[in-house]
Amino acid sequence: MVSKLLTLFAAGLLSAGVAAHDHAAAKPVAGDYAKVWLQKQESAPRLAIAASFDEQGRLWRARVVGRQIFVSHSTDAGRHFSPEIAVNRENELISADGEARPQLAVVGQRVYVSWTQALPQPFAGHVRFAVSEDGGQTFSEPVTVNDDARPITHRFNAMLADPQGVTLAWIDKRDGSGNRDYTGAAIYTARSSDGGKSFAANQKLADHSCECCRLGIAADGDGTPVVFWRHVFGKNIRDFALARVGEPLQRVSEDGWEIDACPHHGGALAIAGDGARHIVWFTGAANGPGLYYRRIAGAEMGQAQAFGNLDQQAGHPQVAVFKGQVHLVWREYDGKHNQIRTQNAVDRKNRWSKPQTLAKTTGAADDPLLISDQKALWLIWNTANDGLQVRKLMP
Amino acid sequence: MNPAKRHSRVGGNPEKPRRCLPQAIARLVASVLVSLLAFAAQAEIRPFAVDSLKQIETARQGKAFILGFWSANCTHCPAELRTLAELAKRHPKLDIVLVAADTPAEIPELVRLAEEYGLTRQAQWVFADAQPERLRLAIDRRWYGELPRTYLYDRQHRREGRSGVIPAEALESWVVEHVK
Repeated sequence: MVSKLLTLFAAGLLSAGVAAHDHAAAKPVAGDYAKVWLQKQESAPRLAIAASFDEQGRLWRARVVGRQIFVSHSTDAGRHFSPEIAVNRENELISADGEARPQLAVVGQRVYVSWTQALPQPFAGHVRFAVSEDGGQTFSEPVTVNDDARPITHRFNAMLADPQGVTLAWIDKRDGSGNRDYTGAAIYTARSSDGGKSFAANQKLADHSCECCRLGIAADGDGTPVVFWRHVFGKNIRDFALARVGEPLQRVSEDGWEIDACPHHGGALAIAGDGARHIVWFTGAANGPGLYYRRIAGAEMGQAQAFGNLDQQAGHPQVAVFKGQVHLVWREYDGKHNQIRTQNAVDRKNRWSKPQTLAKTTGAADDPLLISDQKALWLIWNTANDGLQVRKLMP
Repeated sequence: MNPAKRHSRVGGNPEKPRRCLPQAIARLVASVLVSLLAFAAQAEIRPFAVDSLKQIETARQGKAFILGFWSANCTHCPAELRTLAELAKRHPKLDIVLVAADTPAEIPELVRLAEEYGLTRQAQWVFADAQPERLRLAIDRRWYGELPRTYLYDRQHRREGRSGVIPAEALESWVVEHVK
């Protein structure tokens, strides 16, 4: 039996070199393998999740299973979760992998959920939104927030809620669709000031964003949302920009990564109590690829500081400022384990702790989330084999 | 690579990269089974596993070829694939292997796209691992997942990896030099 298998395998090896495949002996049933994979994907929870703490310190989670997004909460830091409530009662295809992530925010009794509905057309999606007024027991009928209804890119939405309302920001191709001279896509935002019942008209924040990297979003000192994204500068330089909603963008990285490709690798933004912006990002620029951290205070741009091990695919970082101290987390893969690594600033003079491993898993894993409740800073990391990993970084 | 040239490093030393251990027998058997399953189930697009690159290279010993990674979800990939299709038309001897960094769930869409781009004669693979990072590490430690990603293999299999759409003229002159 074994030798027969190996013969077959050898035949397979040989045929790998032939351009036109001709497996006359065992005529394939096209798509079976695809079906099995698809079924697996439809039945298992998807890895990309959203998480948030509420004022009482409960950990909320949104995750996608099949064609629905489910919300639940935990009172014991993720060990047990309440029964999951389906947000969308009508099934729809939901993006939930890598850079395309569901969004969740809890303010008082309101639970805001947002996601991207994937459309059958290539690169096409709608920004979807629903809200619960009763602490996550029931959800409003989902609405599409992008007011351009064409089946094109309205994807990679990020969300920021506050006691006055909720803001969504996303990548939108409405200006570039059908216009070959338009570089990249645009960043659009929409704001609801009535707790998610209605949204004001979509507002363009900037032209010429990169097309497929997650956005960062954080509240400025006065509550105005600040969005952080990979931009296309000039013809094709894919470095980072940030902008307060309603204001011009500021270029915040000068890596000079000139490339007409999809990096699928966004950054993250945290804004400290003093208004300083803390950003982390990835660049593939030939003269210094990798992960970087930078502090920006007004017009003063701090030095870009590299972190992470490039030979272990260091990527998908998060940054948080907790009680005045900057913390970084990111993922690496050492050939056996996916792991979450961390460093924190020791002082303001660019001195950092040594990198440490916070968590690891042997199987597939989501990118890390770094969120805080009133008392502590937490790593939330979803893994296929070890479930939801929750680690307290501070105190 | 030395990021310190341009920027300072966030303190501490990065770990030394660990060497990839030889594949365990169990994994070999598993991948044999995966491959067999693949050949039985899907001739058009094969599942790309950790050792698939070795298979692709072994089958082309002494021959120059182009290995192109792409995705149905990559906005720059159509341009790259159309360029490759044109190139293949002009140079019938050119061997192109395409690997989609998607999942087997996308096979119907990938088949449709390959047809649309006129790349049906080329060998096609699709990432078939719940951990794409494992595949990327096996392919190239210094590939961060950006697409399209293209490797130009000369006859000695010295390869040049390039991210982004490669200008048609650059590909043309590479083919003229390497594909006889």
